[in-house]
Amino acid sequence: MAILALVAIGLATWFVLARSGREEDETWARIQRKGLMRVGMDASWPPFEYIDEPTGQIVGFDVDLARAIGQRLGVEVELVNVGFDSLYDALYVGKFDAIVSALPYDPLLYRDVAYSISYFNAGQVLAVRAAETEISEADDLSGKRLGVELASEGDVLGRRLQKKIEGLSLQPYVAPQDVLWALKEGEVEAVLVDAVSAYQFIAAEGDVQVIGHPLTDELYVIAVQLDSPLLLKAINEALVEMREDRTLERLQEKWFRVMSN
Amino acid sequence: MNTVLQSLSRQRAVKLALAMALLLVLVRPTRPVVPLGPQQEVVTINPRMGVHTRLTDEVEEWKIKQTLSMVRQMGAPWIVEYFPWAYYEGKKGHFDWSHPDMVVDHARAQGLTVIARLGFVPEWVRPEDTITSYLDGDHYDDFGDFVHAFVTHFKDRVRHIIIWNEPNLSMEWGYRPVDPEGYTDLLRVAYIRAKEADPQVQVLAGALAPTLAPEGDPEGLNDLAYLQRMYEAGAKDYFDILAIHAYGWTSPPDDPPAADKINFARAELLRQVMVANGDNNKTCLITEGGWNDHPRWTKAVRPYQRIEYSIRAYEKALEWDWCEAVCLWAFRYSWPAKGYRDYFTFVTVDFLPKPIYFEVQTYARGERR
Repeated sequence: MAILALVAIGLATWFVLARSGREEDETWARIQRKGLMRVGMDASWPPFEYIDEPTGQIVGFDVDLARAIGQRLGVEVELVNVGFDSLYDALYVGKFDAIVSALPYDPLLYRDVAYSISYFNAGQVLAVRAAETEISEADDLSGKRLGVELASEGDVLGRRLQKKIEGLSLQPYVAPQDVLWALKEGEVEAVLVDAVSAYQFIAAEGDVQVIGHPLTDELYVIAVQLDSPLLLKAINEALVEMREDRTLERLQEKWFRVMSN
Repeated sequence: MNTVLQSLSRQRAVKLALAMALLLVLVRPTRPVVPLGPQQEVVTINPRMGVHTRLTDEVEEWKIKQTLSMVRQMGAPWIVEYFPWAYYEGKKGHFDWSHPDMVVDHARAQGLTVIARLGFVPEWVRPEDTITSYLDGDHYDDFGDFVHAFVTHFKDRVRHIIIWNEPNLSMEWGYRPVDPEGYTDLLRVAYIRAKEADPQVQVLAGALAPTLAPEGDPEGLNDLAYLQRMYEAGAKDYFDILAIHAYGWTSPPDDPPAADKINFARAELLRQVMVANGDNNKTCLITEGGWNDHPRWTKAVRPYQRIEYSIRAYEKALEWDWCEAVCLWAFRYSWPAKGYRDYFTFVTVDFLPKPIYFEVQTYARGERR
């Protein structure tokens, strides 16, 4: 009987504590204690993260982003360069506290990691020449030639649009840069390419504009371990602030301009 | 009065029970009937095209049929499929062939030739805390019995069996040091038992993992060195065809082979080992291989390259007179692999064909420019 009573008290205590809303986060506690957040990235994806050859340092949009988050959290940031294939595994085993590496949100991994809100959408965008006046949305593509990278997501989307837009013809090219050059040189009236390629081309070559929002989503997010709810909360709050004070916008302008040079 | 009420309630109870029984019959989940359908034929300009399917863990029969139908419509007459020993022989001598029957019969109805890879050791054969690729020499006869049962059961339906997978990797050899002589012994047992069951069955030596790992490497052994040691251990008499894994990684299929390089044409070097050992009359089957088009994976290529390389690989099968077919990895998965592996497939989990599917199909129809 006494044992039963003890079990009941234990269960009740656990129930009260579990519902008290007090979250624990050892990672966040350590970051605060040491004043250091370790960020994993694969420095091979310009302009988001890459090695600056003259200095040998990792630079890019995500580096600035991670440091800006660190500043808002009041901690230093240490960068850990890991191949993209190994980023998640390295996070799971605690090699670093967060992945900031142009990491696309993956709904299939929601049980494995916790994702922040998105800070960049690298999905497929519709782009036309800067002087274009007839095309302002996908529905205006009837009778037009649409450039895509063969077998890319843009190609898949283009094939879908072809089924519902009369007279739309697809013109495949082998790389996003070829698609954008074909647009600039008038081989096609519009193109579907990923946002990173489009912004890089616009910054470097001009004469091309992106129309509206991306037609597909490839949302770059920050990933932390599932048991880091307080760290995630702090990162999300920082991202919201950076969106509101236009820091994210400035980072985008800066790094796509850097790449064009 | 009481008797009348009792009689009424009894009648109600009987009616209620009947209604419940009827309801149970009506709502009882029944196994959906998926007919094999009429016998189909693969239409292709290249009869050496193939894919590795992954139907081992596909539960729903309609998905099995749909997968195989799409393989046929793409124009590939060959499939490689995995048939895990542990799934079918849960207890020594007790076999359940219902799932593999389903896969094989649907494949044949679609006009496909099945190459069956055998492996995956049941718990009752191996010590605790070992993995499914662990089989010690004392139990080779158990595997031989399984091979005999498999070949007997699928006689005239499955004509090709592969013995094991990538035994030159430690992880495929029970996390023990790799052992070409030990594998040759296993191959001998399996070959003899397979031929006892059906002298016509074609026994494939397990494909080796393309690797440059030197002697003594804890993870594996160079595939060329491993094959040579198999020959030295007497493997020549115990297989009919060599299975090969030929991944191109970032190189095109025409990238010339070299002993210190992993590429698609490394298959030619394995062939040279066969010829050097007097086995030039035998053929090979590429049972895995291909390219990946993940946007960020270090061993991936651009999507258009994957298309061009894959089609060229199929063409090379026609040029290599010793190669019976090229079966590329992998047609479709039953569920997402959650990462770069998903970019090896031709069709998504939910049966959406990728552009590579249509391009290969166009090639198989002889309509590609």
